[in-house]
Amino acid sequence: MKMEDMPLSGPDNTRLEALAHDIYSELVEDACLGLCFEVHRAVKQGYFFLDETDQESMKEFEIVDQPGVDIFGQVYNQWKNKECECPNCKRLIAASRFAPHLEKCLGMGRNSSRIANRRLASSNNMSKSESDQEDNDDLNDNDWSYGAEKKSDQNSPRRSKSLKHKNGESIWYNYNTGISYETLGPDEVRSLLTTQCGVISEHTKKMCTRSQRCPQHTDEQRRAVRLFLLGPSAPTLPDADAVETDSFDIPDAQPLMSRLQWEDSDISPTDSASSKASTNHSDSRKPKKKKKPSLPLNSGGSSSQSNISISTKKKRPKLSAPPISSIYDDLA
Amino acid sequence: QVKSKIMSRESRMRATINQKLTEMGERERLKEILRARLTECGWKDQMKAHCKEVIKEKGLEHVTVDDLVVEITPKGRALVPDSVKKDLLHRIRGFLAQHAT
Repeated sequence: MKMEDMPLSGPDNTRLEALAHDIYSELVEDACLGLCFEVHRAVKQGYFFLDETDQESMKEFEIVDQPGVDIFGQVYNQWKNKECECPNCKRLIAASRFAPHLEKCLGMGRNSSRIANRRLASSNNMSKSESDQEDNDDLNDNDWSYGAEKKSDQNSPRRSKSLKHKNGESIWYNYNTGISYETLGPDEVRSLLTTQCGVISEHTKKMCTRSQRCPQHTDEQRRAVRLFLLGPSAPTLPDADAVETDSFDIPDAQPLMSRLQWEDSDISPTDSASSKASTNHSDSRKPKKKKKPSLPLNSGGSSSQSNISISTKKKRPKLSAPPISSIYDDLA
Repeated sequence: QVKSKIMSRESRMRATINQKLTEMGERERLKEILRARLTECGWKDQMKAHCKEVIKEKGLEHVTVDDLVVEITPKGRALVPDSVKKDLLHRIRGFLAQHAT
């Protein structure tokens, strides 16, 4: 805009100025007329008074003009100074920081698993990596130390790990926190067991990666696992149809063991029940280490007692080493 | 006689200007700008409120366009804010400066 909006000066310009005003008046009048037509039409069509109701309702929704309150009358910084007690860590957290705090605190956010992974990876050899707050409660129950053997964790976020874990299928991830025996070939298992504790957590179905003298597990457990994984006889091949059994007697996992040792599952299970299973598994034995979707690891009865129920389909907390059964079928 | 000549000269000039205004679309543009400004500044709502009174007075069924025009226009003209008026005049003068001989 010009600094000074002077009217045109000079005789001619007086006329021009007058003309300008006339044009202006014309424009204004046009605007007024337009409004009249608009209103008149609205009146005749019946929608002119649509936004009005009875006095009372009108009062209810009047614009509020008070300090500290928005035009609807709501207080808008009501929770600014409030603090909430975190149910997890019992700390008092500011309201606006509460949600992010909970994410970290409960270990459920997107980032919290990454952070936890990183932390574990770095502090893994030093400390008994006790489950941080950030672990899921499930993992908290583990007797595992997340001796994160720094396997190339395929960056599986902790979250998905625990999810998988919940299903009892910890099949194709080598989580930071342990090794899943299911993905290991018998040779690998053997070598692993010579250096590591190897006790299998009933929660995660993973082998403890700590040393052979790890304090979390007893020698008895270690022995049991070795029997289980490398026993003299092959374990019974689980029935492909997921015959789930709950108990697993390691000493009786003969069929299972031997199966583990031999590539071709020609193992004749000691138990008739497992014969079918074995055949099945011999067929399915492929050099695949990964991605065996929900392996119905149920050594169908095998030897009477090696009821291995690797509940790949359902999560069942095992007291003893979970049956490996035919997982090894798929291992090269 | 001279007067009439002068007058007609003037009226011819006006006619030319007006014609130019319309033909070049400037008139329409100015109208839009004015309408927008008036709505922005609340003039329209003011006038509508006044209309309501007139209607209530004359009765919903019987109010005519003329009723409204007669009631609204003078008030409307008066209520245009100065800033809007200045802005419009400025633009008009600009146009005149360009196109008036």
